[in-house]
Order: sequence, then C-alpha cells, then structure tokens
Amino acid sequence: VSDPAREACGADHCITCNDDGIPMTVLRLDAGAGLAECADAEGAHSAVEIALVDPLCEGDRVLVHAGVAIASLEGEDA
Amino acid sequence: VKYVDEFRDADLGRAVSGEILSLVEPGRHYKVMEVCGGHTHSIYKYGVDDLLPSNVELVHGPGCPVCVIPMGRVDDGIALAHNDGVIFTCFGDMMRVPGAQGTLLEAKAAGADVRMVYSPLDALRIAKENPDREVVFYAIGFETTAPSTALTLKRARAEGVANFSCMSNHVTIVPPLRALLESPDLRLDGFIGPGHVSTIVGARPFEFIPADYGKPVVISGFEPLDILQSVAMVLRQLTEGRCMVENQYTRVVPYEGNLRALEVMAEVFELRPHFEWRGLGFISHSGLRLSEAYADLDAERRFSVPGVRVADPKACQCGEVLKGVIKPWECKVFGTACTPERPIGTCMVSSEGACAAYYNYGRFARDREVV
Repeated sequence: VSDPAREACGADHCITCNDDGIPMTVLRLDAGAGLAECADAEGAHSAVEIALVDPLCEGDRVLVHAGVAIASLEGEDA
Repeated sequence: VKYVDEFRDADLGRAVSGEILSLVEPGRHYKVMEVCGGHTHSIYKYGVDDLLPSNVELVHGPGCPVCVIPMGRVDDGIALAHNDGVIFTCFGDMMRVPGAQGTLLEAKAAGADVRMVYSPLDALRIAKENPDREVVFYAIGFETTAPSTALTLKRARAEGVANFSCMSNHVTIVPPLRALLESPDLRLDGFIGPGHVSTIVGARPFEFIPADYGKPVVISGFEPLDILQSVAMVLRQLTEGRCMVENQYTRVVPYEGNLRALEVMAEVFELRPHFEWRGLGFISHSGLRLSEAYADLDAERRFSVPGVRVADPKACQCGEVLKGVIKPWECKVFGTACTPERPIGTCMVSSEGACAAYYNYGRFARDREVV
C-alpha cells in the first residue's frame, strides 16, 4: 500500500521529527540571511539556519537537525 | 575516532562487548533505559542488544516525540487543518498518528491541504509563496527541535510574514524522566542519555538523576559503537560504585549545551502549566507554548481548536511500553490489530517508536543466549 508520508520520510527512518542529526558540509554562506547552503553525504543540498553555530566558513562540517545546524563537527575526532 | 565506519567497526564492537561481559556480575539483572527514540532505532537496526549479555536488558524510554502526542492534540491539528484557506504543515511521521478523528493523512484525503515538510523553515517558505493563505506549522519535538521552531518564528517576525503561525506541541525531556523515576513499577539501574537533546541543553539538566535517584547517566551518540560504549560506561559506574552524569558523546555535546539555542527558546517559548503525554498522563511543566511576545504567531490563539481530551484506546498499551514496564511484543495488539500500516498506538507509527522498531526489524527474541 502506497503511503506518501512513509515514502517521503524514508522507509526505515524519519529524518526530521526525532532526535536525528545529519552531518552536512557548508557550501556557501549567506551571512546576511543567517543561512548556509549545505550538502549531505549523498550530495543533496538544502538551506540551513546557522544562528546556533555561527561563525562558519565554507567547507566546515555541521550537524543539522530540522533545518538548523545544532553543532559544529570541526575537531570531531573525539 | 573520526569517521562513521569506525563507529560501526565489528572488531571494535566485539572488544567493547567483551568489556561489557567483564563488567557484569553473574546472577544480577541489569535494566538500562535508553531515553531517546533515536537510540531505540539504532539498537534494533544494528542489533546492538545481540552483543549484550542476557542479563543486560535495554528498556525503551519516552524519547520519541511522535509517540507521546496524545489523541486530543492530533484531533486539534485535524480541526485546524480543515479551516478554510489553511495550509497545514507538519513532519512526515506526524501525518500517520491516529487521533479519535482519524489521521492527518486521512484529513488530507478528505480535502484538507496538509503538507509534509522537513523543517519549520520549509513551512515558512510555503507561507511566503502563498501570501493569500494561512500557513500553520504543527510543531513537535524535544529540545533538539524546539530551537528550529523558535528560530523560524523569529524569522517570520523579522520578515513580517503575517500569514504564518505555529501550533506548538514541543515537550521537554526532564519532567517525564522525573515522572518515570517516581513510578513505583519501574526498576532501572541506569540511563543512556539523549545525545542531540543534550547538544542543546547540555549534560547539567540530568544531574538530578544521580543526585536525587542514585542512578548513573551516560549521554550517548547514535552509532552502534557509541551505544555499546555507553552501556559499558553505565556498567562501569555500577561496578565501581560511582554515580554521575558522564558524556560519551563529547564530539558533539558540550557540558553546558548551546547557550544561543537556550536563549532563543527562552525568548519564543514558555512552559505550559501541564501537558498531556500519551500513556504517561498529565505532567507539570513538560510542554512548551509560545510566549506572550509571540502570541500573535500562536495558531491556538489565531484559530479556535476543540481542545477535547481523548482517552488512549483501551487495547493499546503504549503507556506501559513507554514506561518500559512491558516489551512491545507483550502488548495484546502488537503485530495483529496494531501494525505500522494500521497503527492503533503511536509507538507503532514512528520508526523511532519502540513497537515499530521491533516490528520492522523483527527483533523480538524473548530469550537471548545465557552467558
């Protein structure tokens, strides 16, 4: 049975509504708008709010949840 | 450790598994609750529990924001979605959560303009593209997600987007944990703390668990090795007679949290006196509503919502599952009347829900090999 919500969310994981974090790379900064264009591991692009981890540079890696960068992944070799 | 592959390395996993085995006392049964639905999902996806001795039991906590939304709040959303001219936006899993009046997906089929979004920012974009329509964002989530809603509301205010509003169902993690710890039918030895919630709130809010209840807490990442290592850290505290909040997920979680996120949440939200949780009932100061300063963006004030409380379905035992009192397969309707395709309870809806995680990954072995 086709289920649009399930298909859109991915069959095995809802990527937005839970405690999920997607590692993404900053491609282009729009500091005036408080946004950055970021790419995930599969190369999909999206606009991300950067207010919580500003300042960032292009090429930085961030953890993104529901369209917001919640942490910087620089120096993540813990 | 820097790359994802290393967090899924089988040899490292076996080494930590061996360490866990060396830490448990034979004859003692350990119950460790993973608070976060994201952990539940990882545990069953990767079979983390198969690497644990049979006397170490992982209990699934209340940390799935979809699973804890009560039926009455779903009905309120459906009523809102049926308002003329409204575009109703929400995250995907929320569309399948059953209320007494059906689901948002069924409301969409019946003609309501319900749209799935990946972020509140997407909902705001829809509002800007449809200035003659009212766009409502149905917000759910713990402290990980609340800053995203708050930043979007600030952006809506700054950009003067008058046709955007938000129905907040955001919840906070500490009050339900305290309620669980006060529950007489629960016996736990320690907690795997939520990783990304802690990125926002830090580790400090969990200090009451060792201080007031004498249970260790280890804040954990989401890769299989993160979770195994966190179980080992809980067991090591128990073995050594220590009891404190430890942070396994230091690569992302600062002990003090993200102060900017806490500030924006404090500006946009205020605590509700009470909020109802599916299966757990009303819990004081556990939900967030829009503050007076943002009252004009509050969909519950802009529109009338029924606000009728609906009792959980009698056959559904989501409450006991959320409290860790029973395992999902012990529910009377698990896998029969209640499946991910036709869920009765919310634990079966979201893939982070304990019941769906069991159902989808077939992980309901009653007895593991005794060590």
